[in-house]
Amino acid sequence: MKQWLGVLARLIVGGVDLAAGLAKFPDPAGNVRQVRAFQILPESVVPTVGHALPTVEILIGAMLILGLLTRSFAVLAGLFFVAFIIGIASAWARGLEINCGCFGSSGVPANPQRQYAIDIARDIGLLICCVWLVVWPRTRLALDNLLFPHHERLADGEEAVED
Amino acid sequence: MAKKQSKTERAQALMRAQQRRERMRNLLVVGTVVVAIAIVAVVLVVVSSKKDTTGQAVDPGGSPKNLTGTYNVVIGKESAPTTIKVYEDLQCPICQEFEKAAGQQIQTAIADGKVKVDYRMVAFLDRSSTTNYSSRALNAAMAVLSTAGPDAFLKFHTIAYANQPAEGSAGVPDATLIDWAVQAGADKSAVTPLIENNTYHQWVVNATDQMSRDGVSGTPTVFIDGKKYTNPSEGVTAVLAATK
Repeated sequence: MKQWLGVLARLIVGGVDLAAGLAKFPDPAGNVRQVRAFQILPESVVPTVGHALPTVEILIGAMLILGLLTRSFAVLAGLFFVAFIIGIASAWARGLEINCGCFGSSGVPANPQRQYAIDIARDIGLLICCVWLVVWPRTRLALDNLLFPHHERLADGEEAVED
Repeated sequence: MAKKQSKTERAQALMRAQQRRERMRNLLVVGTVVVAIAIVAVVLVVVSSKKDTTGQAVDPGGSPKNLTGTYNVVIGKESAPTTIKVYEDLQCPICQEFEKAAGQQIQTAIADGKVKVDYRMVAFLDRSSTTNYSSRALNAAMAVLSTAGPDAFLKFHTIAYANQPAEGSAGVPDATLIDWAVQAGADKSAVTPLIENNTYHQWVVNATDQMSRDGVSGTPTVFIDGKKYTNPSEGVTAVLAATK
C-alpha cells in the first residue's frame, strides 16, 4: 500500500514538475524576466537561473515519473519547492504584484494576493509528497527496482543473504 | 563445533565480499545515471540560453527612428504639466480594456496640452498567438513611428487596440498590419519591407527586457508623475483624473 502511495506521490510531483518545465522551456527570455521580477537574486545570476530552471524541472519530473534515483530527486524537488515557497511568500510580503510564472504564464493576475496563497498551498502539498518519497523511496513501478534489486529485497524485509 | 564456526565465518566473508560487489555495482549504476542526466541538462540549458537573444546588439538600421529615448516615445507638448508613463503590450487584453476606458481621454488631454504620454511599448505575449503577433505588431508600430512620426504611431496604436486579435488565435497577418499602418498615415512602400522583414525585432526583444529591468513585470503599468499603478482599474481611475 505504502509503495503504491509512493507511486502516486512520484506521479503528482513528477507530473507537475514536467508540465511546468515544458511550459516554460520555449520562452527563455520570459523565464529570465520572471526570475528577475521576484527581485531576490542578484542580476549577475538571474539569466543563468532563468535559463536553467525549466531544464531542471523537466529532469526532476522525468526522473520521478520513471522512479530513477527516487530519493535523491525527491530531495532535490523538495528543496526547489522550499525555494519557491520562500520566493512567493517574500514577494507577497513585499507587496510585489507578480505572477509566480510557475507554468510559464505572464502578466499580473487579477487578484495577486489570492494567487500567492493558492501557489503556496500547492507547493506545500507537493513538498509533502516529496517528504513522503524521501522517507519511503521504495515504490512500485520504478526503475530503481530494476537497477537496485538487492535493496528492494531488504526493503521488503526479506533475508539479504540466501545461501 | 569448530568446523561449524569456520563455516559461519566463511559464509560471513562471502557475504561481505558479495555486499562489496553490490556496493560497487550500485555506485557504478548511480554514477552512470548522474553523468547521463548531467549531459542532458547541459545540452538543454545551452539550447535554452542560445535561443534567448536578449541584450544582443541591434543591427544598424534595426533601431526605430523618432524615439525619444532608447526604448520610449513621448507624445505631447513639452510644457504639459503632467506626465503619464505607460508600459503596454499590443497583445495584452487588459491593455485593450485600459485603452477602451481611457485612450480617448488621453489623446484629448495630449491635444489640449494637459498631459504628455511616455509610451513604453513591449512584447512579451508572443505565446498568446500562433504567429508571434505581440512582437510583430510592435515591430509594425515602430515601422510607423520610424517612417511617419509619433502622431501616426499613436493612430496605429489606437487601430491595433481596437482590432486586437484574441488570445490563442493566429493573430493578424503582415498584410493587415500594413493596412493598419497605411490607415495610420504611413507610406505603404516605406513600411512594407520593415513589417515583412520584422526589422526591429531585436530592438523589441531588448525593449521588453528593459521593462523587466525597470522593475515592471506586467502590462498595463501606469505611472503618473512617477507614481506607479500596477492595478489596471486604479490606473484607469488615476489617468481619468489626470486627463480631466
